[in-house]
Amino acid sequence: MAEIALGVSEKHLPGLAAYRRQIWERRLLHALVLFLVFLIMFPFLWLVIMSFKSDPDILAWPPKLFFKPTLENYTGLWDDEFPRSFLNSVITSVGSTVISMVLGVPGAYALSRAARRGGSNAMSLFILATRMAPPIAFTIPYFLVYRNLGLLDTRLGLIIIYLTINLSLVIWVMRTFFDAIPRSMEEAAWIDGASLWQGFTKIVLPMSGPGLAATAILCFLYAWNDFFFALILTRTDAMTAPVAVVNFLDYQGWQWGKIASGGVMVMLPVLVFSLAVRKFLVHGLTAGAVKG
Amino acid sequence: MFSDKKARRRSVLKGAAATAALGATGLYAPAVLSQTRKFEGTTINGAAFSHTFSAHVRDLIPEFEELTGITVNFQDQAFPVYNQQADLELSTGGSALDFVNITFIFSGRWIGAGWMHPLDDFINDPEMTPADWNPGDFAGGAQASLQDADGNTYGFAWEAGAMIMSASRSDILDEAGVEMPTTFDELVNVCDAIHNKDGVAAFVADKLHHWNWIPYLMGFGGKVFKDPPGDLTPTLDTPEAAQAAEFYANLLSSYGPEGVLSFTDEQALNAQLNGRANIRTQAIAWHTPLANSPDSKVKDSVRFALMPGGPAGNFPGSNSHGWGIPVGSKNKEAAWEFIKWVMSPDVQRRIAIDQGYSAVTRRSIIESDAYKTQMTFGGQDVASLYLQVLELGGKSGYMKYRTVPVFPQIGDKINKAIERVATGQQNGADAMAQAQDETISDFRKAGVEMDL
Repeated sequence: MAEIALGVSEKHLPGLAAYRRQIWERRLLHALVLFLVFLIMFPFLWLVIMSFKSDPDILAWPPKLFFKPTLENYTGLWDDEFPRSFLNSVITSVGSTVISMVLGVPGAYALSRAARRGGSNAMSLFILATRMAPPIAFTIPYFLVYRNLGLLDTRLGLIIIYLTINLSLVIWVMRTFFDAIPRSMEEAAWIDGASLWQGFTKIVLPMSGPGLAATAILCFLYAWNDFFFALILTRTDAMTAPVAVVNFLDYQGWQWGKIASGGVMVMLPVLVFSLAVRKFLVHGLTAGAVKG
Repeated sequence: MFSDKKARRRSVLKGAAATAALGATGLYAPAVLSQTRKFEGTTINGAAFSHTFSAHVRDLIPEFEELTGITVNFQDQAFPVYNQQADLELSTGGSALDFVNITFIFSGRWIGAGWMHPLDDFINDPEMTPADWNPGDFAGGAQASLQDADGNTYGFAWEAGAMIMSASRSDILDEAGVEMPTTFDELVNVCDAIHNKDGVAAFVADKLHHWNWIPYLMGFGGKVFKDPPGDLTPTLDTPEAAQAAEFYANLLSSYGPEGVLSFTDEQALNAQLNGRANIRTQAIAWHTPLANSPDSKVKDSVRFALMPGGPAGNFPGSNSHGWGIPVGSKNKEAAWEFIKWVMSPDVQRRIAIDQGYSAVTRRSIIESDAYKTQMTFGGQDVASLYLQVLELGGKSGYMKYRTVPVFPQIGDKINKAIERVATGQQNGADAMAQAQDETISDFRKAGVEMDL
């Protein structure tokens, strides 16, 4: 075919054959990537599709690929107690993230700059203690203390728990970022008359933007996705969205549509937030991976 | 002193006014609340899992509050969430809850560990419980899991499940010239005769084998434990257990619809509702939608019967959930007022008859004409089947196996063993022997005493 079209045989144009092979290889790779993406995304895609199906369509066999979409699962969520749980999730996640960052970032800076004085490594390890055991190990003590303090089923109680867990993460992650920033930058600012605090806020923090973003996202994700502590330490008033989704597993039958739409609603803010800051996230997570 | 007197007089006046108001508005004031305002001003906290019944209770709470002056904070959550939270609350001796649902599968643990308060003193005190409340009216099977080995009562059942059999497409049975099976042998013969007729699978079940299979195990003469709750030695490696496993696995693999081994309750129900599967043995709540659900395509052809029996007899599964009072509660008497009121014959009758709630536990209601009318489908008296199963469970106590704290561990092994047999990976004897070994190993780690 090529010989007819061009009037020459491929053996006279070895470069053309190689070019064609490259094109096919590229197409094959693209197809493979698309297939892998589809494979990875399929459970999420299925969840989203399910959230727009009516209950009979969800349970239909064989599964229906073409169906009349409905918003009843989403409106049903709105009529239920889900919005309050969603709000609880937002408040506890954002609250704990902000407080963790406000307390943890200066702490990390202090530990980073105090490294030469010794003892900071021991202090860092001590701070990490809250992450040295699985959450179940802390459950009963937390439950008993919270019951006595009247913190059960309160947003404040959850924020304190997430703060306890996330603070160590902030300190450990941010410390490595601050370690990578040369002290000479701050020293130059000090010579110019800046105070220690000004050096930190005007010089160091702006240079740590990607790290701050990545750390904040990790903190937010931990609090947002937490199920265990929210299950044990809340009842109705402070119940978060992940627990509310499980509440659709009724004794008399599972509300599949609401489980799916609730799942989508839980994923949505994380997805939007992560997309918005993905540039910082990738940069922040890979910073320091390659030493120049 | 003056203020006390004044407060008391105010209470009396308030009580009188409330009674007059109730009379004027036609609200019901049950006789069981002989000292209606005794606990006025008390707040009680209760919890249960989300259920049609708890929704009815929630609707009725304002009426109770108006009658008694007791404020009721009631939370209901999903079954797994409620169980987790209640277990933690009870196990740590908390006083946050004054009345709770005693979940069937946890009843052995919660009652056995002394976390629930015995109710006998309340029941036997005529000042607290009038004779017409009649605790003996509750069906024996429903109450069995709420009593300890000495017969002390820790709760009153508000919900009961009773395993029966349904055939969604009885027309296919008629065409094949077979009747509803009454024995295991007949069940296989019927399945043989009707399987894949009109594209309908003969048998369907959900994947909770440790509930569905046990009646077959007992029907063949087998047991889960040697003598529960006292002797928890597993007895899964017996010839009877192997035979029952082969029998039940054969029902699933030979007569079930495609994918039956992974069916949830809803999928099994849906298969029947749409007429894709015919016979199922399960709790009554999963059968009645076939006759009264708007989604049912088999309303005219569904037929109900007692679960078939085996060579050793008939052991249909039954379970129940009931209200109880945690031992840590600081308002036990007020909590009893609530339980007494919500489980009174009249409130129960209103929930059963006016609201159409079918899983009631008072014998007097199940045997009433109104309930029988409600539970008669196509001329079939399902109410009698229901009561029959509940009484069976109460008489011989064969459901005790399910209320012991370690049942979830052995149940998991049973599920896997049945799957292995149904998929042809192992024969019944090997699968059950493996389940036995695994259970013994788990029990040893958990420190369970066994007589091996």
